[in-house]
Order: sequence, then structure tokens, then C-alpha cells
Amino acid sequence: MHPNADVLQGTLDLLILKSVASDPMHGWGISQRIQQISSGVLEVNQGSLYPALHRLVKRGWLQATWGTSENNRRARFYRLTAVGKKQLVDETATWRRFSAAVEAILTTP
Amino acid sequence: MSIWSDIAQRVCGLVGREPDANLGDELRFHLDMEARQLEASGLSHDAATAEARRRFGGVDRYTEELRDERGGRMLEHLRIDARYALRLARRFPAFTAIVVLTLGISIGANTAIFSVVNAVLLRPLPFPRGDDLVVLYAQNPDKSLPRFSVSYADYLDWRKETHSFTDIAAFAPASLTFTQNDDAQRLSGLSVTTNYFDVLQVRPHLGRLFRDGDPPTETENEIVLTYGFWQRQLAGDPSVIGRPIKIGSSGRTVIGILPAAFDANSGGLDAVTVLVPASIPSVESHAQHLLSVIGRLRPGTTLASAQADLLGVATRVAAANPGIAGWTANVFSLRDELVRTLANPLYVLLAAAGLVLLIGCINVANLLFTRSAIRDREVALRQALGASRRRLVSQLMVESAELAIAGAVLGLLIAKLTLRAILAVAPTGLLPTTIDLDLRVMAFAAGLIVFTTLIVGLWPALSATRPRLTGPLHDGGRASTGGLRTLRARRTLVVAETSLALVLLICAGLVIQSLSHMLRVDPGFRPERVVTMRLSLTGARYNDTTQIQFFRDLQTRLAARAGIEAVAAANTPPISAGGITTAIRLIGVPPRAGEQLMGAATAVTPGYFRALAIPVVQGRDVDWNDPDPKLLVSQAAARQYWPGQSPIGKRIAFGTRDTLGLEVVGVVADSRSRGITTDAPAMIYMAYAGATRVARTMTLVVRGRGDVSAVLATTKAVVREIDPTLALYNVRTVDDIIQQSIGQPRLNTMLLSFFAFVAVALAIIGIYGVVSYSVAQRTQEIGVRMALGAGQRDVMSLILREGGALAMIGVVVGVGGALVATRFIQSWLFGIERMDAATILVTAAGLIVVAVAASYLPARRASRVDPLVAMRAD
Repeated sequence: MHPNADVLQGTLDLLILKSVASDPMHGWGISQRIQQISSGVLEVNQGSLYPALHRLVKRGWLQATWGTSENNRRARFYRLTAVGKKQLVDETATWRRFSAAVEAILTTP
Repeated sequence: MSIWSDIAQRVCGLVGREPDANLGDELRFHLDMEARQLEASGLSHDAATAEARRRFGGVDRYTEELRDERGGRMLEHLRIDARYALRLARRFPAFTAIVVLTLGISIGANTAIFSVVNAVLLRPLPFPRGDDLVVLYAQNPDKSLPRFSVSYADYLDWRKETHSFTDIAAFAPASLTFTQNDDAQRLSGLSVTTNYFDVLQVRPHLGRLFRDGDPPTETENEIVLTYGFWQRQLAGDPSVIGRPIKIGSSGRTVIGILPAAFDANSGGLDAVTVLVPASIPSVESHAQHLLSVIGRLRPGTTLASAQADLLGVATRVAAANPGIAGWTANVFSLRDELVRTLANPLYVLLAAAGLVLLIGCINVANLLFTRSAIRDREVALRQALGASRRRLVSQLMVESAELAIAGAVLGLLIAKLTLRAILAVAPTGLLPTTIDLDLRVMAFAAGLIVFTTLIVGLWPALSATRPRLTGPLHDGGRASTGGLRTLRARRTLVVAETSLALVLLICAGLVIQSLSHMLRVDPGFRPERVVTMRLSLTGARYNDTTQIQFFRDLQTRLAARAGIEAVAAANTPPISAGGITTAIRLIGVPPRAGEQLMGAATAVTPGYFRALAIPVVQGRDVDWNDPDPKLLVSQAAARQYWPGQSPIGKRIAFGTRDTLGLEVVGVVADSRSRGITTDAPAMIYMAYAGATRVARTMTLVVRGRGDVSAVLATTKAVVREIDPTLALYNVRTVDDIIQQSIGQPRLNTMLLSFFAFVAVALAIIGIYGVVSYSVAQRTQEIGVRMALGAGQRDVMSLILREGGALAMIGVVVGVGGALVATRFIQSWLFGIERMDAATILVTAAGLIVVAVAASYLPARRASRVDPLVAMRAD
């Protein structure tokens, strides 16, 4: 896999939901978290990130509030809603099934 | 996110800057963080900022995408389209002006007529559960009299025996003299049975009203006043309740004031008293048709079952009373009765206005076709650049909507002016005095906007954005097949509007001729310089002798005055219901079994026919010195009663008990005493001496030499000389009465003609437009023709023929439409057939001529085409 690959279509939502699962985060934080945890393999394109965030807010999976960042800047924080939590569980399960299936196909000689 | 904040966000996305600013903040925060990270990795501040921006791309693009994501896109597009449409409207001011004016006139005409419909036909009666109120009539199918007055005896029987009504009440107009500060004036009154207000369920504004069961000894000295009269004459003084006012020669106690809403439907009524049956002549006779009857249906009773009930009762009553054989009864809804004469004209006019709107829409659609041809390349370019069809159509629809809204704003203004004109022209009493553009009218206008937008915009928009492979971009701006298709669509539109215009034109032609026939009809008397006025000889002072003495005196004294040519009196005005219908018998002519002959009679003083210049064709006029009251009959009556015989010396008896009858001494020419558009009725004229008891209120007929006011002043002075307590009222010239009687046809004709005029004007503009367009399309072809030897004349006739052919097809379709449409104005026509060939020929030929004339300008333009230029063009 090429490093710095764009996040696979359809998985961005899952990654965002997972990133904000423990703590509320702002957009920048989310993009950093995804990049760090994936050791730089996954890089979130800002042009996809913010529309996705707003889409998730609209669907009611995320809730957005204005707050103060760690360096005292005004920033928009996203937190997982109850519906979002359920969605995260569902999507995680779906992803696991999917990747296991792909893995099985790839490892078959 | 709640639905409200969602909406708020969308709306903000459309108009506000606030969420954008937030959006910017969020993205700016991201940029700053990126830059900070880069700076930390060793870049200079400026370089870090620049790199962050580079990595991020344009902020605008994201804002745009984000806004799409937030659902603001549709509204945003709407805003852009609206702004673009406004710019476009400003760029083509002539186009915009024509479109807005066309839509304004069409929408205005519709809104005005609808306001009248709304005020007259759709407004509920000002009574609780007004839809349960009904009118009961006597009817005689054999004589085709579906709506006839009811006798008091019938009323009592109906009230006792029917069970479909909670109650029924009877009433009759009453004329009262009101004296205040020695000034006598006539009131328009109603005398009613005591349960009248119970039936209507009217609550008093002040005091109390008559109630069912009030004893006659009390009610005969009581009076109820209308709100209008109370305000006008008594200054709205509440202390008037319980006080007597002078009515006739004695006082009556004011017991209550009617609510103001009552006035709106009672046509200038002043006061209400209780009907005294004893004052009705031969009150016990079932044939004495004098009263109007209203009733209230029992809850849950239908009109049809009430009709069956009433019919059964009336049939039994008729069977028990031989004098009224053939008479039954009819019941109608009060609401329908009140608007009966108005409903048909109003719906016809509304339909006519609707046609004008349709034609207006067609014209505007046509103009939009022209413009879409001009904008073909713009549309094609945008399609090529990836605009979706939906997006383009919605943009074009926004443009149409904007035009329709501008048209509607102008339309409301035009509607207001039209309404004012209608109310000014309408005969008094026909329409409510004020008609407002209320909420329902506004909703109607809004509906028209949606309708016009769809009609006007959709077709051109769909046709302009039709997907195509080789478009105008390809063929260098010259529309080829697409242009032809558009041309065909436009020709269809023009044919449609021409045919609609012809339908209106034929209808207008018919009603205009009807009106002119009405104006030219010979009423059978000479109306010029004749003034009529009413006066009542009531009170202790008047009896048979003094009443006769009064009129003899008046005639002698007035005849001696300058400026007076002739004076006489009758108990019905020269143009009115045409006498009082009463039971008669022809002495010596045995009646057909079970049939009661009815005749229309009026009491006249000697000189009445001379005053109105109605010729006495046989025998003589009545005379003051006749030993007993004599009769004259009209020619129609003579033919009907004694066909083939001379009526002179024949005798007619009135009522059921008289066996001797009165002698006919003369025959007078027929006159249209039932109204100018109604055939002269069979009339019996009785010498006043025979009718002094019943004819206490008389109409003076004064033919003068000078102007009306001088005649009136002289008459007033002489009347005052004889009896200063008498009041003259209802002063009108006979000309006025005639004009008033055709006031409604005149109004209808004016409106319909106006609509037809607008329709034809629009159709002509349409033909001009489409022929011009076709000339522009065919410039090259014309060039080729001329190069091949066609002369200017040939080219002109080619183009003129095109306009003529369009009109011709429109005319054929239009005549077909008129076959149907004229059915609805059948009742408006007078002295002309519904499918009058001359009218159809003239209007059709006229329309074709005008259409060819409208094609003249484009034809001339075509004939001046320079073949060289034309063929090289494009």
C-alpha cells in the first residue's frame, strides 16, 4: 500500500466515529489522530474531512459544540452521540467482517 | 440536530453570513494548526503558512462543498437564479414590461371578478346557520310561475301542516311616514309576522325584537329600527329605546335596534313593524298573493324532503279551496335566491377573465420561446459545461416565477382599480357597497401566480433544455431543426389564443348587440321628461272621497302651473312588476273547470295614458265623472280575454264574490310595464275610484317641459299647498328607471367587451410575434427565393398568407368553441340568436383581417431582404 494513501471510500466515517469515541475532538485533532495511529499510512484529506464531519452531524451521529483548544483557540469540537455510538459498533462489525473476508481471499493460495 | 436548527442553518446558508464565518473559523483553525506543525518542523513562519495553504487547497472550494453538504444548495441556487433573473429583466426592459403588463392585466381582471364572486356568492349569510334558511313561494306550473307571492291563508296552512321547518315567517314591504321636527319623510319598511326574527335568529343590537307570540295589542304600537336608520336619523342615540317616534299619524314605541350586519342584506331598509292581518284586503282568500315567506329547515332536513313536504301540504290546501286550483308551492335556499340573478353572469365573467388569463399566459410563453431562442447558446454552453437539466429548468422556472410575481403585484393594483370601476358602474343595490381584497382573494391571486408560472414557464423551459448532441454551439448560432420545432410549438400556441379570443369576441358581439337592442326597444310609452314619485294617502284624513278629491285637486292645480305638461297617478310605476296580480273573472265567459283566472291590474287616474303618451286605440279613457269605476285593458289583455271580439262593454270582476264586475270602456296600446326586456303583459287598468282602499300609495307621473328639478320643485310646492304633511319619495325620471333596469346587462356587456378587447389585442401581439420570428428564421430561405426571381410582392404575400393561415385555423376552432360558450350567455341575449350568423361572420372576418394586418410589418421586413446579405448571413 502506498504510504499517505487517501482514506478508502466509505471508511472515513468509521474512522471519524472511532476517533471521537473516547473524547470530544476538533477537526484538526481528528486528522492528526488518524494519521498518528495509522503511523502515517492513512492521511485524511481536509477536503473530505470537513464535509464528512458536517454530514455526520446532520445524521445525528455527532454533536458539534464550540469550545477552546489546548492552545486557547476557539475550535469546534465533535462528540459522539448515543446514535453515533450504536453506529460505530455496527460499522466496526461490518468492517471486521469485510476485512476478514478480504484477508481470507488474499491468503488463499 | 433538531429540525429547527436545521432550517435555521439552511436559511442562514441562504441569506446570512454567520455560519460561513463559523465555517471559515473552523477551517482557519485547521490551517493555523497545520502551519504551526510545519513551523515546528523547521520552516519559517511565512513558508509554513504558505505550505499549509497549499496542502489545504482553496478555502472557498471547501466552503462550497460544505454548504452543499449542509443542504443549503437548493436555496443557494434559488438565490443565484433570482438574482440572475432580476439582472436579465433589467437587461431586456421592453420584454419585461410587455410580460409584466400582460400578466398584470390578466391577473388583475381575474382577481377583480373573483373579489366580486367572493363578496357576492361565497360570503355566508349574516345569520346563524344561514344555510338552513329557505324561501317559500307559491308556484303555478301551468302558468310557468315558479316563484309567486303567498296568500296569508296559505301561509297559515303551511305553517300549521308542514313539519320540515322549525318555523316559517311571512313579511311584506311596508311604506311608513316618519315625522321628525315637522318634516315628514317616507321610510322603507317591512311588516313581518312576530316570529320573523326568531326564524332568522337575529339578535338585537340594542333593546329587543319582536318574538313569536307577542300579543297584537302591544306590537301594533311598536317598531324595530335598522342600524343604518338609527345612525342616520336618530344619531345613534341609545336612549331612543322605549321612546315613541311619530310614524303615520300616531306614535310607535321603538323597542329595539337591529344589528349593523342586518343592513348589508336588506337593501336600504329603515324599520320593521308587525304585520296586521286585518289590514290585508280579503285576508281569508287563498288567491290573495301578497306575502313573501321565509323559513328555517329543521336540522337534518334536506331541501328536497322539505319540498316534498310543502308540496303535499300545498296540494291538499289547493284541493280544499277550488279558487286556487293549479297552485302549489316551491322552496329554495335563501342564499341561492339572493344571488340568483348574479350567479350566472358572475361565473360567465369569471370564465371570460380566465380565458383572458389563458391567452395572456400563452402570449408570455410565446415571448419566452422567442427569448429562449435568443438564449439558446447560453443554455447550450451551460449544458456543455455540465449543468444538469433539472438545474437549468429550475433556473428558467425561477425567471418565470419572478415575472409572474411582478405581474401579480401589478395585477392587484389593476384589480383594485377595476373593482372601483365596477362598483361605480354597477346599478345601485346590485352589489355590496364595499368589496375588499380579503384573504381568500389573496389566496386566489397566489394560486394564479403558481398557475401562470407553470403554464408560462414549463414548456419553453423544457423545450429549451432538451438534450441534444449537435446544438446551437455546433451550427454557429443558427437554429435549424430545433428552431423549426419551436416554431411549430409557437404556431400551435398562436392558433389556440386566436381561437380563445374569437370565442370572447363572438360573445361580446352578441351581448353588445343585445344591449343596443335593449336601448332601442320601444317601451310603448314616451319616457322623456317624465318624472315619477311616490306618495301615500294614509291616516284619518283620507277616505275614498278625500283621496279622489286630492288627485283631482292636484291635477287641476298642477295643470295651471308653468312647465307642467300632464300629470296623473297610478299605483304601480310605469316600469315595475307590471301591476298587481289578482284573481279575476270575465263576466259572461265561463271559466274552464277548476281554473282561477289571474290578471295583472293597476289603478290609474284619468289622464295617465296621456301623461305617458300611451295611445288609447279603442274607446275612451276613464273619467273623474264616470258614475261608477270603469276599466281599460291593454291590447294584449283584449286578445287574451276576448279573442276576436271587441272588449268595449265587456265586464271583469275582481275577487271571488263580485258577480257584477266593472265595465271596460277602452283599449290602450301595449307597453312594457314589466321591464324593458320583457314582452308587454296583459294589463287591466282600473279607474282610481274603484281602488281607493287598496291603492293608498300611488305613483305620480308628471310630464314636464323644463328640467327635472324644476318639475319636481313645482310638484312639491303644489302637494304641500294641498297637504303639508305628505312626503314625496322615490323621485326618479322614467329614463332613469329604464337605465337602471338595464344596469346589470350594461355592466356585464362592458366587462365582457373589455375582456374580448384585451384577448384580441393579445392574440394580435401573438400573431405578430410568431410571424416576425418565422421571418427571422427564414431569412436565408427568403434570400434564396429572391435570388431565384421571387419579387417583393411574392415574398410579402408568402408572409401575409402565413399570418392569415394561422388566424384562419384559429377562427375555425374558435367558432366551434363559441358554439359551446354562447350557451352560457343565452340568458343575456335580447333580440338576437345565440348563433347569429352575421355576428360570427363579421367577428371572424375582422379577426382574420387584423391578423393579416399584424403580419404586414414582418412581411414588409421580409420583402426588403437583400438576397446577397441574407444568403451570406450566418
